[in-house]
Amino acid sequence: MSDNIIEVKNLTKIYEEGKVLAVDDISFNIKKGEIFALLGPNGAGKTTTISMLATLLRATGGNAIVNSHKIDEEPDMIRKSIGVVFQEPSLDGDMTGWENLELHAVLYGMERSKRRERINEVLELVNLEDKSDMYVKNYSGGMKRRLEIARGLIHTPQVLFLDEPTLGLDPQTRRKIWEKIKELNSGDLNMTILITTHYMEEADELADRICIMDHGKIIALDTSENLKKELSGDIIELELEEVKDFSKIPNLIAQLKQINGVKEITMGTKHDKDRTSSEMFKPPPGMKGINPEVMRRKINEVLSDPKKFLQAIKKFPRTGQFFLNAPYQVKEKVARMYKESELVDDLPPKIKEIIQKINNGEYKKEEEIKEPSLTISCEDGGKLISEIIQMVNQFNSVKIKTIHMHSPTLEDVFLFYTGSQIREESSSRMEGIKKHIQMRQLKQK
Amino acid sequence: MSRKVSNYVQIEGNLRWESIWYLAKRELLAFVRNKGRIVSSIAQSILFLFVFGAGFSQLPITIDGISISSTAFVASGIAAMAVLFSGVFGGLGIIRDKLFGFMKELLVAPVSRRTLMIGKTLGVALQTLVQFMIITVLSAVIGFYGYDLSLIWRILATIPVGLLFSLGVVGIGMTISTRLTDFQSFGLIQTFLIMPMFWLSGALFAFNTVPLPMQVIMMINPISYGVDIFRFILLGVSFFPFWLDLTILAVFGALLISLGAYSFSNMEI
Repeated sequence: MSDNIIEVKNLTKIYEEGKVLAVDDISFNIKKGEIFALLGPNGAGKTTTISMLATLLRATGGNAIVNSHKIDEEPDMIRKSIGVVFQEPSLDGDMTGWENLELHAVLYGMERSKRRERINEVLELVNLEDKSDMYVKNYSGGMKRRLEIARGLIHTPQVLFLDEPTLGLDPQTRRKIWEKIKELNSGDLNMTILITTHYMEEADELADRICIMDHGKIIALDTSENLKKELSGDIIELELEEVKDFSKIPNLIAQLKQINGVKEITMGTKHDKDRTSSEMFKPPPGMKGINPEVMRRKINEVLSDPKKFLQAIKKFPRTGQFFLNAPYQVKEKVARMYKESELVDDLPPKIKEIIQKINNGEYKKEEEIKEPSLTISCEDGGKLISEIIQMVNQFNSVKIKTIHMHSPTLEDVFLFYTGSQIREESSSRMEGIKKHIQMRQLKQK
Repeated sequence: MSRKVSNYVQIEGNLRWESIWYLAKRELLAFVRNKGRIVSSIAQSILFLFVFGAGFSQLPITIDGISISSTAFVASGIAAMAVLFSGVFGGLGIIRDKLFGFMKELLVAPVSRRTLMIGKTLGVALQTLVQFMIITVLSAVIGFYGYDLSLIWRILATIPVGLLFSLGVVGIGMTISTRLTDFQSFGLIQTFLIMPMFWLSGALFAFNTVPLPMQVIMMINPISYGVDIFRFILLGVSFFPFWLDLTILAVFGALLISLGAYSFSNMEI
């Protein structure tokens, strides 16, 4: 017998109703006694994967073996040999902690004589022995989580599935739960643990191997050490000042990539929500004589009166330029100002179009990348940093705001693989998935 | 190909009686611990007892030439009402488990869905029976049925038929709740299902005093037979023969439990 306790082969899950390809043909093995972490952005398919392995969800394709039982053939045998802690709470608040555990023991077919002893054992393991007579609805978040872990352990499973076990818990409780997880994994218990998490330090701290998923696929699988080594060398983060001409950035990235030793460059943006419009203002180069205080006050005035804004635009064409380059917050403010006003028709067509788009809710924030930050992974940051700065300075309109260098963390690995964009179900992605499913259906025919 | 395949994996297998008992016990415990629910259900029944029993009509009601007191007539109807209301709403209680996540713990356990469903149904039915008994004993003590030693035996005899009736009624709630995803629809169910079933069951008026079309509707309503069988046992009079009541309640119970089990197996959360 192999030493793999879980073997996943070509596992696929398509939610037919939503036409969502949640898990796309993944394969991996988990060794006995291992802590295996599944990382991935929201909607990457982690929970779906765990649900299929726990035989709660039916797989659309592929197969998996858990504790030498196939998931589609002997679900009851698998269920008896695994413990599951779900992402969402799944306790009955109207029962006491003890009763929750007792019902679980009964459902898992435990003999009456062993129940009491075993329940006491697991309660002791999570330090809840003196709270077992309380109603669960009166437990704190951490206590509930610990009780759920205890419940998952009653029937002495060989594999424990933990779906985001420390979500929403304070640092102290998280550390306590980590300790418990390590305790379960070590010593006589030597339990295999499959954990999903959003917290990089959690995966770093606990997991023997880390699997990064995105869009239902596995994109990286190795130990934390090796994953970081792949991004060996250093990470240089360049934060740029407001870029007027955004079309130059791809060019800049292409040139930076030419530098010997630079491995990968990813771009993200930083939206500063706290800054107000007037604080955004910095005197343009070459106009050093202007008092920024006065200027800021004027801008504030202009931005709070539709008439003044219109006048300003007619007097100084620069104001229009300022508006076009302003961050979204400022544009939104202006748009709101013109919502009830007919003066909107007197504005220059380009500005009018943007304002109407915002007021109709059609404006896309993605168009709004003005302050990009570049994350550059390279061999030897110390040597390259001056060369990189020189390269950036060759571009007239691009200015470096801050520069920061560090060695890669697991978070860098994660962002490297999954990109730094915020995940929402964007329409383009849904289109992609739909196409993918159609392709699959064609293939099957 | 067109058959809809459930997303969830099901455990095949026999019923597990110990699991069923513990699931039923959970429902009973929840009932006993929720003082507000007990009080409100009893208070509602008492209100109905007094309003309809005392105020409705003082004239004796005549069935098959036997005249019986209107209070006894209404009291037995209210007892059936208690079964209907608490049974349907108890069955709807699955939504609570669905929304608060406990259903997931149940579904991932290595027991068949039938085991889960029957455990739950039995629990709610027993809890309904308890409420029914409270109302019946209370009305007997107040004297709605007159004081008679044989009443004790008659009340005890309502227990098995009360349970049979409850199982069917709980089945209604179960079947509906597997399809619901929130509490919003409770009002609709109350207005369009429970209330018509109650008013058209003959709980508050005699079957032979209403026009024929209404009699037909009442004959289709299974609740009428629950009301009738309670009257047969408690008052000794009934519109339908006892064997008919019993047969219809048994068929109704079996049908709704099967339907509930079917919906439960296809339930998605």
